[in-house]
Amino acid sequence: MAAVRRLVIDVLKPHDPSSVQVARTVADLPGIDGVNVTLVETDREVQTLKLTIEGPDVDHEAVETTVDELGGSVHSVDQVVCGELVVEGVETPQD
Amino acid sequence: MTPDLDLGRAVRALRTALADEEVRAISRRYLVSNGFDGALTSIGVAVGSFLTGVPTGLAVVKIGLGAAVGLATSGVWSVWEIERAEKRAELADVERAMLRDLSGTRLHREQRTARAVNAVASGLGPVAGVLLPMTPYLMAPSIGLLWATVAAVGVGVGVLFAFGSYVGTTAGLNPYVAGARMGVAGLVVAVVNYLLPG
Repeated sequence: MAAVRRLVIDVLKPHDPSSVQVARTVADLPGIDGVNVTLVETDREVQTLKLTIEGPDVDHEAVETTVDELGGSVHSVDQVVCGELVVEGVETPQD
Repeated sequence: MTPDLDLGRAVRALRTALADEEVRAISRRYLVSNGFDGALTSIGVAVGSFLTGVPTGLAVVKIGLGAAVGLATSGVWSVWEIERAEKRAELADVERAMLRDLSGTRLHREQRTARAVNAVASGLGPVAGVLLPMTPYLMAPSIGLLWATVAAVGVGVGVLFAFGSYVGTTAGLNPYVAGARMGVAGLVVAVVNYLLPG
């Protein structure tokens, strides 16, 4: 089965652990080369983050388990890129 | 899980807790507050023991040890229960916002470690506050009970001064003034004990 090369997820988490801790913990997982954590929204108790995770073989189940263990919840999987080539989305007339 | 992994995880959790400014601030408050109680209790025990004619320095030390055990147990036990309730309420707030149970998550584990650090700091305060002023009584056979009592009050005031300076330093205050403000309390306790009838 083709390896996941890029995973973009929407995560809700408490203020603690920090975004830095989330990024470092996810980036330490095997098969991941880099992680981008972007703050989307902040509330009194929680924050919404967009995680862009790239690597030769991103294990999405391990990522979800790690996010869960950090106290967060994966709200949605916004993008998955699989295969030898990282294919970017292309604009269509509908866009 | 092997004991090695367990210990490694505990050490990492402890280091994380000690690096957390909120955990340090709460622990500092409990340490100083209960250490203040301990030092004042110790000065009271020293002056009271001398004035009521306790025969030996060792007897005074034993009374002090009893006070230290009581205050340390109080410090650990009360903070353990207080922080359990406080942190449970904090977690419940986050759980409501997250719409999920956070038991077993890193946040939950960090709260447990923080509670343990708070409780230990709370117990250490009175141990230091009571036992240090008692040490001159170990020399009572050579210097006499009067001078051992004077020295005990001096050490007690010194401990209070140290606690005050420590708190003052963390707040950016003059450590000598902050230390003196707390040290005076020791002298007040000694004088009030001396003036008490009987």
